[in-house]
Amino acid sequence: MATHRGFGISSIEYPTGMNQNGDPSQAWVKVKPDGRVDVFSGTSDIGNGAKTIQSQIVAEAIGIPYDWVTFDNSNTDSSPVCTGTFASRATFVAGNAVLKAAMDVKQKILEVAGKEMEVSPEDLHIVDGEVQVKGSPDTKLGVADVAAAATWTHGVLMTGTGAQLNEYAEITNTLTGEVSGPPHAAISYAACAAEVEVDDETGDVRVLRLIQVYDVGKAINPSLVEGQIEGGALMGLGLGVLENSYPYYPSPDHRGYSIGSYYMPSSEDMPEYKTAIIENPSADGPYGAKGIGEMANNGQPGAITAAVHDAVGIWVTELPITPELVLRALDAKAEPRREGKLIAFDEELSVNSMASGISWSV
Amino acid sequence: MKVVGARLPRYDGVGHVTGQTQYVDDVRVQGMLWAKALRSPVHHAKITHLDTAKAEAMSGVHAVVTWRDVPLLEYGHLSALGIPADEPLLAKDTVRYMGQPIALVAADDEDTAQAAVNAIEVKFEELPTLFDVRNAFDEGAPKIHQWGNWYPHFEGDMDRRQIRKGNIEDAFDRADKIISGVYRPAAIEHVPLETQVSLVVPEPDGRLTIYSCTQALYFSLAVVAAHLEVPMNRIKIVGGTVGGGFGGKVDTATETLTALAAMKANRPVKWRWTREEEFLVSSTRAPWHMEIIDAVTEDGWILGRKMLTLHDSGAYARFSPYGLTKHSFHHTGAYTIPNLHFDGYVVFTNRTPTTAMRGFGVTSISFAVETHLSRIADELGLDPYEVRLKNANRINDTSPNRIRYTDPSSVEVIQALSEAAGGELAPAYAGATRAPREGEMLPEHLIGQLKTEGH
Amino acid sequence: MNIVLNGVTVAIKSPPLASLLTVLREELNVTSTKVGCEQGGCGACTALVNGKPQRTCLTPIAAVDGASVTTVEGLGDSDHLTAVQQSFVNHYAAQCGFCTPAMIIAATAYLEGNGSSDREEIEEALKGHTCRCTGYQKIVSAVAAAVAETTFDLTVTTPSPNTVIKSGGQT
Repeated sequence: MATHRGFGISSIEYPTGMNQNGDPSQAWVKVKPDGRVDVFSGTSDIGNGAKTIQSQIVAEAIGIPYDWVTFDNSNTDSSPVCTGTFASRATFVAGNAVLKAAMDVKQKILEVAGKEMEVSPEDLHIVDGEVQVKGSPDTKLGVADVAAAATWTHGVLMTGTGAQLNEYAEITNTLTGEVSGPPHAAISYAACAAEVEVDDETGDVRVLRLIQVYDVGKAINPSLVEGQIEGGALMGLGLGVLENSYPYYPSPDHRGYSIGSYYMPSSEDMPEYKTAIIENPSADGPYGAKGIGEMANNGQPGAITAAVHDAVGIWVTELPITPELVLRALDAKAEPRREGKLIAFDEELSVNSMASGISWSV
Repeated sequence: MKVVGARLPRYDGVGHVTGQTQYVDDVRVQGMLWAKALRSPVHHAKITHLDTAKAEAMSGVHAVVTWRDVPLLEYGHLSALGIPADEPLLAKDTVRYMGQPIALVAADDEDTAQAAVNAIEVKFEELPTLFDVRNAFDEGAPKIHQWGNWYPHFEGDMDRRQIRKGNIEDAFDRADKIISGVYRPAAIEHVPLETQVSLVVPEPDGRLTIYSCTQALYFSLAVVAAHLEVPMNRIKIVGGTVGGGFGGKVDTATETLTALAAMKANRPVKWRWTREEEFLVSSTRAPWHMEIIDAVTEDGWILGRKMLTLHDSGAYARFSPYGLTKHSFHHTGAYTIPNLHFDGYVVFTNRTPTTAMRGFGVTSISFAVETHLSRIADELGLDPYEVRLKNANRINDTSPNRIRYTDPSSVEVIQALSEAAGGELAPAYAGATRAPREGEMLPEHLIGQLKTEGH
Repeated sequence: MNIVLNGVTVAIKSPPLASLLTVLREELNVTSTKVGCEQGGCGACTALVNGKPQRTCLTPIAAVDGASVTTVEGLGDSDHLTAVQQSFVNHYAAQCGFCTPAMIIAATAYLEGNGSSDREEIEEALKGHTCRCTGYQKIVSAVAAAVAETTFDLTVTTPSPNTVIKSGGQT
């Protein structure tokens, strides 16, 4: 009777935006008479930080400080269409929409500034809230002054709009799954290693350490990226060893109905983390960003199953890896069926042994 | 870049730490009623009797909504994408899962609303149930859904999602080993700290203001407008600040029914699910049944994959056809496999309908594929990093849909993981890049896809 | 009945078996205490009752007649954040924010009880509080830094420990 340590890895990919695309996000931006900027976007913030990320994108694109941006995603009267905050699309798809809206309004600012400064707009750019002549930073006019001139002198409302819509990828052959074009925007990549401890007397599996690598394209706000990675990791740990809506699946009985009777990770289940964030810019994300919110809970379960095998020599392929499953597997010491070149695991779980209406073979 | 890439504070951080961030439940309006639902106590039954008269007559009760009050009873979340509707907003003649809503009551307070729910007379004639997706296809299996036991409306009325690529028989003939396994991740709960909630206020101009915890303002706008058969300008969804979602709040779970109750009572109505409802009635992440058979060589190349997926959709389709399609598009994981044979079914059972959750469709694949790859490496006596690096996508490799990858970074993240874990890769693997395959990394079985496939 | 809510004595009209949570939210319009489960499980309704963190959803108002009740509204406002509140902002310890007010109440009680900056002790102190977003790492970091009385630049947030960011090496 002892505890055993094990180590396992996984490597995953995940698409950005809705599968097959066709999911629009739109935004619009207006400039107040003092140069402060209001962004209207239909992207819900579910904790992922959409308000922060999209504000940062707008500030960067126009060339103004972050705290000049007001972000409004509060309702469908003022905000244009956003398909929503899911499919890892809030930074990438909706971020592209606010980026386009910001670039649009920036052009309007430069045009009014050009009139005020008697300089061609192409020769101007915006740095820290000031419109400057390129190569001659002392020749400048504050964005606030430009906005005032637009409002009181030129009678112009400076607004920008942006819309992002990746073309719907139709399935052109339902027999083979061929599609009319790429069925997603950028793909994100990650790899994960888990170190576990398995108690062969109690069947308890503890995840001690998660080492994780994510290629996020560009971390628009690294603290938010960390938050997705760390929060996702604990959710992935829950998937791997704790959580189950139907503890006696397929039976629907004895479901957890409370925080106390549904097992999910608490602060005490948190493993040690080691994280590397890699920035390989995507071709078409805002500033090269990709979406990683969802994939953040995909890598851990596969790394944990391999680590459990490394620790005690069993493959548990039903999640979560409960003490009961571990102890039963240790007792059974099941070997795959080996016949010729076939190595067949888990035959007792297969439709072939459970069902009569559907069968499955090489 | 100055702003992008900077660790700037959360836009809403100070609001969060001072308790001033306003969630739906924090909105205060005068004269607000509370809603409670009558839900099915059984998994599968015919409704033989439904009488709300006693409930409606109770003091403090202002509206009782049943299926008769819903202008368009069935509207699917994906109707706009051509996926037909199968789920009534309120049960009419059949209940297909425990907890399915049958009526909604709006009353002065929650206790009165619950008492009125208890006063509704309803009788059921119970029907046989099905819970194991593996038995859905059996002769004599109970028929539990109007479309049969699995979703029959993929393009061209296919009853499954199929992927075929290359020559699977040839791959199995040429394999040194054929390794099969079965993978079954459980259903789990989203557990947002804020339960499903909405507050609907009828405005003097006839519009409805719907305070909603939706993850998708416009998705919910479209769904509510469709059920109510009103143009979008009659509805204003107010939201954007959500107390956790994880996919479950793409469902538009409460908004439409609360709107109907508010319209009938002509008073503001709030419907806030209890934690028990959130656990037992809100949709879950789907349980999946996946069988993988891989044709592999002794040195760790994957020549072909045959896969069967049964996706437990619960009692209705919701987002499941979408999730299964996404699953099929990613069933090779981060690797190139030139010969594929995938069949996937959306299977109906008498459990709570499942829905989107973080990683929808792919979380299952990542777990199954990675566990299977670890098994393959173990059976072949190979390094698990090297098996992955060998098969990992490179530029010009093609996806299950025959789309060329242009900038995969599988190789780099695996190398970085090895480094972070203190490992050391053999020189051939330490020096690998995402560049198009050549030399030892371009074995015979992968030459074909470079020449003939892709867009 | 009355309570001393954030230093001010207020009379209570609700019935004696109404929960303190319901009284705070529905009678007194103090909405930082959240309805997370009403089962005593998630911790999102926690307030300080006579200085000790308590689940307000399981507390009948009659049981705390005359007591001092502190919610996050009584700690600091946006211009005068307490060290714990500043540290939560600085460490990105709030994501969706729904568990945050109660988490700050618990952390405040931990500091006032002379809790240490030891991460395991902080995890133990917070284990009755559910957060589904953050994975707890940043919350624990925030509490540890608040214990250490770190001063914060609220315009820049603090990275997680053991994390590196590097440019991709591939073209």
